[in-house]
Amino acid sequence: MDFESLSTDLRSLQARALEEIAATADPAALDALQIQYLGKKGDLTAVLRGIGALPADDRPRVGAIANEVGEAVRGALATRGTELRAQVQTLRLAAEKVDVTLPGRPVARGALHPIPETIAAIAEVFGQFGFVTYEGPEVEDDLTNFQMLNIAPDHPARDLWDTLYVDIPGHLLRTHTSPGQIRVMQSTKPPIRVLLPGRCFRYEAVDASHAFEFFQVEGLMVDEGTSMADLKGLLDECAHALFGPRKTRFRPGYYPFTEPSVAFDVECVVCGGVGCPACSKSGWMTILGAGMVHPVVLQYGGIDPERYQGFAFGMGVERISNLRHAVPDLRYYLENDLRFLEQFR
Amino acid sequence: MRVPLSWLREYVDVQQTPEQLAERLTLLGMEVKGIETWGADWRSVVVGELLTVEKHPYADRLHLTTVNIGSGEPLHIVCGAHNIAPGQRVPVALPGAVLPGERRIERTEKMGIASEGMLCSGDELHITADAEGILILPPGTPLGRQLSDLYGDIVLDVDVKPNRGDALCLIGLAREVAAATGAAVRWPEISVSEAGGPVGDRLKVEVRDSELCTRFVGRWISDAKIGPSPDTIQMRLQAAGMRPVSNVVDASNYVMLELGKPTHTFDGSAVRDGTIIVRLAAAGEKLETLDHVWRELTPDTLIIADPRGPIGIAGVMGGADSEITAATTEIAIESAIFDPVSIRRTGHRFALRSEASLRFEKGQEFRLARIGADRVAQLTLAWAGGSCARGRVDTAPTEPGSPRLAFRPARVGKLLGAEIQTAEQRDLLSRVGIATEPAPAGSRIQVAVEPKPLEIDPGAEEVLLAVVPTWRRDLEIEADVAEEVARVRGYETTPSHLPDTLMPAYRPSPAIVRDAVRQTLAGAGLTEAVTHALVAPADEARLQWPDDQGLSIAQPAAGAVIAVTNPLSSQHSVLRQHIVASLLAVLALNERQGREDVAIFEIGKGYGRVGDAPREWTRLALLLSGNAEPAAWNRPARPYDLDDAKGILEMICRRLHLPAPSYVPDNRGFPFHPGRALAAEAGSDGESITGRVAELHPDALEMWELRAQRVIVAELAIRGLDGATVRRIRVEPIARFPVVERDLAVIVNEGRTAAEVEATIVRHGGGLLRGQRLFDLYRGLPLVAEEKSLAYRLVFGADDRTLTEAEIDAAVAAVRSGLEIDLGAHIRS
Ligand SMILES: [Zn+2]
Repeated sequence: MDFESLSTDLRSLQARALEEIAATADPAALDALQIQYLGKKGDLTAVLRGIGALPADDRPRVGAIANEVGEAVRGALATRGTELRAQVQTLRLAAEKVDVTLPGRPVARGALHPIPETIAAIAEVFGQFGFVTYEGPEVEDDLTNFQMLNIAPDHPARDLWDTLYVDIPGHLLRTHTSPGQIRVMQSTKPPIRVLLPGRCFRYEAVDASHAFEFFQVEGLMVDEGTSMADLKGLLDECAHALFGPRKTRFRPGYYPFTEPSVAFDVECVVCGGVGCPACSKSGWMTILGAGMVHPVVLQYGGIDPERYQGFAFGMGVERISNLRHAVPDLRYYLENDLRFLEQFR
Repeated sequence: MRVPLSWLREYVDVQQTPEQLAERLTLLGMEVKGIETWGADWRSVVVGELLTVEKHPYADRLHLTTVNIGSGEPLHIVCGAHNIAPGQRVPVALPGAVLPGERRIERTEKMGIASEGMLCSGDELHITADAEGILILPPGTPLGRQLSDLYGDIVLDVDVKPNRGDALCLIGLAREVAAATGAAVRWPEISVSEAGGPVGDRLKVEVRDSELCTRFVGRWISDAKIGPSPDTIQMRLQAAGMRPVSNVVDASNYVMLELGKPTHTFDGSAVRDGTIIVRLAAAGEKLETLDHVWRELTPDTLIIADPRGPIGIAGVMGGADSEITAATTEIAIESAIFDPVSIRRTGHRFALRSEASLRFEKGQEFRLARIGADRVAQLTLAWAGGSCARGRVDTAPTEPGSPRLAFRPARVGKLLGAEIQTAEQRDLLSRVGIATEPAPAGSRIQVAVEPKPLEIDPGAEEVLLAVVPTWRRDLEIEADVAEEVARVRGYETTPSHLPDTLMPAYRPSPAIVRDAVRQTLAGAGLTEAVTHALVAPADEARLQWPDDQGLSIAQPAAGAVIAVTNPLSSQHSVLRQHIVASLLAVLALNERQGREDVAIFEIGKGYGRVGDAPREWTRLALLLSGNAEPAAWNRPARPYDLDDAKGILEMICRRLHLPAPSYVPDNRGFPFHPGRALAAEAGSDGESITGRVAELHPDALEMWELRAQRVIVAELAIRGLDGATVRRIRVEPIARFPVVERDLAVIVNEGRTAAEVEATIVRHGGGLLRGQRLFDLYRGLPLVAEEKSLAYRLVFGADDRTLTEAEIDAAVAAVRSGLEIDLGAHIRS
């Protein structure tokens, strides 16, 4: 064995290896070639075994050539490996192609009912102005539901509330959320800013615009100088938040428990104030009743009407929701047809 | 109240269009709910003149007429009425006309002769009550004109609030129009020509209860002739929504609409001895009222009687015996003032609420008793003739003057949040007839009246006296004056600003836990329902939901069912104690719409009574039916089962930061599937959550007529649903040392529950056991028939070190032997 033949062997090994590497189409085969040429028992090692028979001067030269060959084979293996992996990946990705226009895998999502959601929306607006929420009982006593609200047992205004009575003496199903005013005033001191949402009941035949169970949100604010202008300011904010910017107005109303009493109108959400069937051509829609708390009511709440004054308002939750969501029929709310409810998802 | 504009114009000038007037009245507090065109339903009805009237050749009851309608050839019209004659002007419905009630008039043939239209009666046009004859129009009515142009009217529908009884009449609304426009009110000329002898010779009145009848004014008319009232009057009444009856009854009704004073007219010959007694009914007395119903009078019913007995229920309805009939000639007029509360109660008791009783209930101006009696007498004489006895019977002829009401102009401004000068306030008040005068020293302010009167000394503040018109019985306190100032000034002038006063203290929303649960459930695919609190007693009872009330803190005692005493229907007559039945009804409704997959929940109240104390509580109910995952192109359908409901409950517990729930089988059977029901509990002693989760028994599904094969339901008491905050999270430090997992297959008899196995693992796991999770459940070979294998992954770890193999082996061995000894289990590692 001499330097020439050894170096020739190395060069031919290199040529053979590079040829085989280039011809390989499969990463596993490439791994096998790595072992075949560069492994501990591989061809390169085998050739180098002959190095011991060389003169000492030639050994480094052969070593250098062997390194070159090793580098070349390693490099070729790496390059081909990269190529092959890229090819395999390309093939895999091509094979994995899907019709991306197919619909997704459904993820279940329920809907929240518009009544509690509308109450939450109202509470969110007034919450920003310091109004906290209380909830009162639905089975009320006549005293709190009527008499303490300045509605005597034979008051003609009782006709405004057709009442459902229960088999507990002196009790009824609250006809409005207003008795909550009394309960709050009796349990807290001014400054008072509260919201009282909840279910109410009336003796009323059901149709598209009447229900015997419905929801209201009552508001009450009492302090030394609370005035009708404060009421107007807050209701304007509320109307803005719920219906977007639009004109509002007060007009006279009547409730035995407020004096003066007003109705609060917003520009018709359907026609924008021009006049249409939805607003009886008036251009206005009434969204709530309100007024300054009657001195009799303040007194029943344990509050001195000479020192304090305040306002109260009551709005129908379904009314607000009807206007915001264009709900055509009051019966939708308690019927719970999923074709209605799921629109609120 | 229906207000024909032409009638209103008798009392006040109206320059505005109907729409403008409606807006002004609405802004003044007399809300106009609608503007109706009276006569809009007379389409193609014109004025014609009868040229000829001849007998029909083939029918005795018919006439052949020719009618000139001002243009074109005369029309040939067949007519069945007998009051027609040539020269009369009559309403003619042309072919193509439409009459009230959508009645269409076409060219027809009557007994072989063509008729080119129809002559109309007052009844057919809804103008008068006369259905017998053709409506004969005044001579000179312009030929060919549309009837609606001549007799049409605009009718405002005004919603008069209950406190404004004074405005429930044309004069009252004329006063409001005057306040809005500055026009003057014209009272009708009221004078009675008294041709008869002294009234005392004909009529005596004895009021036995002057509290309930504060004034009775009577008049007497002799030799009247009953008949229809003038057509123009009938038209007015019709337009105002009142049916014409006869001249005398119409006079009474006309005065009620004109002045707001209900009166009653009796056939004088039916009043024995000409003596009217106003008294409470005696026990056992009966009366046949005008509607020909016999009524048992109770001793608190105020009645009008003669010496023999009742002839009317005061203020509510007259008696049939003393009704004005065609034969009546003597007329007794009653114009009285009754106690509003008494009238209201009586009206309710007999379910008789009339236009008259509604006005009595709201209270009456004292002097109207006199004015009303005079006006009815005047109109009766005008329309029915006869002669009126001289003078009135009057039980309380002294009429009080205007009361004075002290107010502080500064307070009015403070309430309204606007600076309004005293001079402006006085001016505004004067427009609604309220004069003002300086207050004498020592005047006190009426802040409130009954039922909680409060009068205060105004100190040094400026005080004025409002001179309250006698008709304004609603003005009693200072705030009432503020309201008058505000409404005349216009509420649209109210300034708008945000409060700048102190804020109240923080208070958490009562909906925090509720909203957390709602959001979680919606995220899990359940849709929120809100159902009726009032349910049918049968629905409440037939589900037989177990009564868990009183078992834990979260479940207070429910007590008995609360029933409505005046329910609208038997379907909604009791307050529910459970919600699941309501959700079953929702499922049934949606199934009827072809909807199979239903996942819903409701957070709602239950109601009960313990003795006379009502109580209310809040529950979560949920219902799962159909598929949890509907079939899609990329996966098969998966139906809901009990595990879904439990998974949802476990998620709620995590969301509320509560311990995981534990389950105990509930094998009661109906309403549950006997093998698929459980009682769930979380927190110590169910303090946090208690309730039932179950698949319903097939018999229950049948009761609700459900198509679903399986329905999973739950009703849970969750602490905080009616007001609490969510438990705060306390973080566990992240483990610094690795944990080790070991799997254990526990083979037990079928009778053993997973809960027992798990409890045993925990009991014997020692301090190193960090958790355990069931990852497989196997039945079948090589196990014997009565066995099952539960595979758990146990997790071991310690806070302060990496566990050694020996430690872990020891812990697993302890669990193994615990399971073997306590449960007779075999273990495969
Ligand atoms: Zn509109």
